[in-house]
Amino acid sequence: MDVPVNTVELSKIRKSYDEFVAVDDLSLIIRPGEVYGLLGPNGAGKTSTLRMMIGITVPDSGVVSLFGEPLRRAHMQRLGYLPEERGLYKKMKVLDQLVFLGQLKGLSGHDAAQRALQWCERLGLKDWTDKKVEELSKGMQQKVQFIGALVHDPQFVVMDEPFSGLDPSSALVLKDAFLELKTVGKTLLFSTHRMDTAERLCDSICLINHGRAVLEGDLAKIRTGYGKRNVQIKYEGDSQFLHNAKLVQSFNDYGNYVEVRLASGADPQELLRAAAAGARLSKFELMEPSLEEIFIEAVGKANA
Amino acid sequence: MNTGLINTWLIIKREYLERVRTRSFLVLTLLLPAIMAGAFIIPAKLSSMKSAKAQRLVVVTSTPQFGEIVRQQLVAGDKTDDEKAGADTGKDIEKDKDIGEDNEPSRNYSIEVDPNPSDAERTVLRNRVNAGDIDGYLWLSDDAVAARKVTYYGRQAGGFMEKSWLIGQLDNAILMQELAQRGVTGTQAGALLKPVKLETIRVEAGRETKGSGQAMFFAVFAMVMLLYTAVIFYGVSVMRAVLEEKNSRVMEVLLSSATSTELMAGKLIGVGAVGLTQIGIWIVMAAVYAFPALAASVSLGEIRIPPLTLAAFALFFLLGYLLYSSVYAAIGAVITSEQEGQQLQFIILLPLIISVFMMGPVMRAPDAPVAVWTSMVPFFSPVLMYLRIAVQTPPVWQIALSLLLLVATIAGFLFLCARIYRIGILMYGKRPTLPEILKWLKYAKGL
Repeated sequence: MDVPVNTVELSKIRKSYDEFVAVDDLSLIIRPGEVYGLLGPNGAGKTSTLRMMIGITVPDSGVVSLFGEPLRRAHMQRLGYLPEERGLYKKMKVLDQLVFLGQLKGLSGHDAAQRALQWCERLGLKDWTDKKVEELSKGMQQKVQFIGALVHDPQFVVMDEPFSGLDPSSALVLKDAFLELKTVGKTLLFSTHRMDTAERLCDSICLINHGRAVLEGDLAKIRTGYGKRNVQIKYEGDSQFLHNAKLVQSFNDYGNYVEVRLASGADPQELLRAAAAGARLSKFELMEPSLEEIFIEAVGKANA
Repeated sequence: MNTGLINTWLIIKREYLERVRTRSFLVLTLLLPAIMAGAFIIPAKLSSMKSAKAQRLVVVTSTPQFGEIVRQQLVAGDKTDDEKAGADTGKDIEKDKDIGEDNEPSRNYSIEVDPNPSDAERTVLRNRVNAGDIDGYLWLSDDAVAARKVTYYGRQAGGFMEKSWLIGQLDNAILMQELAQRGVTGTQAGALLKPVKLETIRVEAGRETKGSGQAMFFAVFAMVMLLYTAVIFYGVSVMRAVLEEKNSRVMEVLLSSATSTELMAGKLIGVGAVGLTQIGIWIVMAAVYAFPALAASVSLGEIRIPPLTLAAFALFFLLGYLLYSSVYAAIGAVITSEQEGQQLQFIILLPLIISVFMMGPVMRAPDAPVAVWTSMVPFFSPVLMYLRIAVQTPPVWQIALSLLLLVATIAGFLFLCARIYRIGILMYGKRPTLPEILKWLKYAKGL
């Protein structure tokens, strides 16, 4: 009994709409208590995958398991979902709306109201609980939607693009609230097309492209697997070393510094010597590749 | 209770409360009776006030005795009470006093007999009419009476009702005059002229039930009107409710908690109940207004709707309303904007209109095969089976079968549109074609 049951197991799920294959033979595992990122460009099949995972749609083939058993209706009460396209009843009062959503998840009216009020206080909506949703600003509506997904204290939280379209301060508040769920043992899954966000938040990821999983697993391991193949260099002087094809596969000039991708088999020490020969270096650091680079490389490999 | 029922109940409650609490609900609930009162009650009051003033008429005839008979006919004829009918001189025209005719303005005449049908007198009378001294005069010269072709001169030509009433009273007066000339006394003449009164007795379940054809017609007519109004008014709001949720995209949140069948059932019943509440309020208001008249009619036994008919009314109205609303819900699930829905409105109402056309044949021969089978068709049965029950109790198995088909069709529609809805909301863009909908139903298997 020591082995914790996986929160989610997708095994070879597939979903097609007419000719279009949205998700193709996708498998992944989400472990309890981790923050999991579903990554990929727009149209990669992230939303389709999330919907199948929580029973909104059913895969054409493959198996979805939640909490160690095949997905069934009773699981709905243990998960909270924030859809990509937010939707609330515009004419309904904030508190009524949250109580309604909480009750659908099996809370009593009283409990739902109490928890909704706690959340509203925490996210600064205390004075707005009696207002209609349409009277709230967009950022506040997002917060209401966010509470709606969490009011029943779900074991497993699924959020589709949770931080997109938010102003920076709201995004920060929600991100803190989101990460805090991790500290109380919740399993968190979110999708994003922003690699930098995922890089900062996730324990594990699944990279999807054209409905297929390109990379899946523990983020740190994935990165280590790709090795330290990047070098950040700050320099003044001759930039001739950047054009040495034996050492440099490609480089990006960010103005303040240059990020260099080593050619395969190249020794970073050699690049250091070559650079130092013509320029004054103020920084030379070996880096793990960014998620974005890993993604681009993985997709390139998959397409090849 | 299981989760499905709890969820459905929560959705019903939300739909109902959110709608009933709106200002527009309150306004419409109060405004419609106000408009109805303005349209019907006030004109009726005004017209009865007007005719309360006596009409001054001059009856011109060379025979004073005949003139007196006419005067009696016109003056006494406006008080048509049952107890007077036998005792009086038989000039009573029995009025059918079923509801709907109660609002006839009461007549009030003051009659003056002028025994001088000459051209000079005609000029005098014309001037008196002009001066407003009298309202009009009846020219009953001997020739005119012999030819049964008399003339009324007046400032107002008179309405249709007034004219036919006048003709009846004059017919009676002429007959009585003729009879008197042949030596028949006034009382005998009254007995001769006593009109026939037909009472219809319905035999139902071995018992005799008194009920007039009008009361039955009224009961059926009320059903058709109520169903029609409810479907037009509230069916659309079911469609709009489904559409609104699709457009506001709330349903993706809800679908992570409830099934689409629970959602659709909740919407249908919740929005439907709002309509019933409103209709209920209106009926109560109307009943309070009409209570004295209604209570009087019921106690006089003039309205007698058997309990079975009342029960059938409630049941078939509810189911008919649900059926038509579920079609609206299905349309709401398919379309993407309200304009598209409006084009489909007529198709929904068509079966209702057809069943109104079928009413005549079914009423004439309630157990003919055509009547029996059309009254089984779910879209017709709310009107036609109910009509048959009101006219002549059909065999129990026929009632049961039509109810069963009705309920099954509602469930089928609900099931169907839950599926369409579920797939439809998750697809974006244009309205689907029929083959696409069929394909969706396949996708949705197992949801």
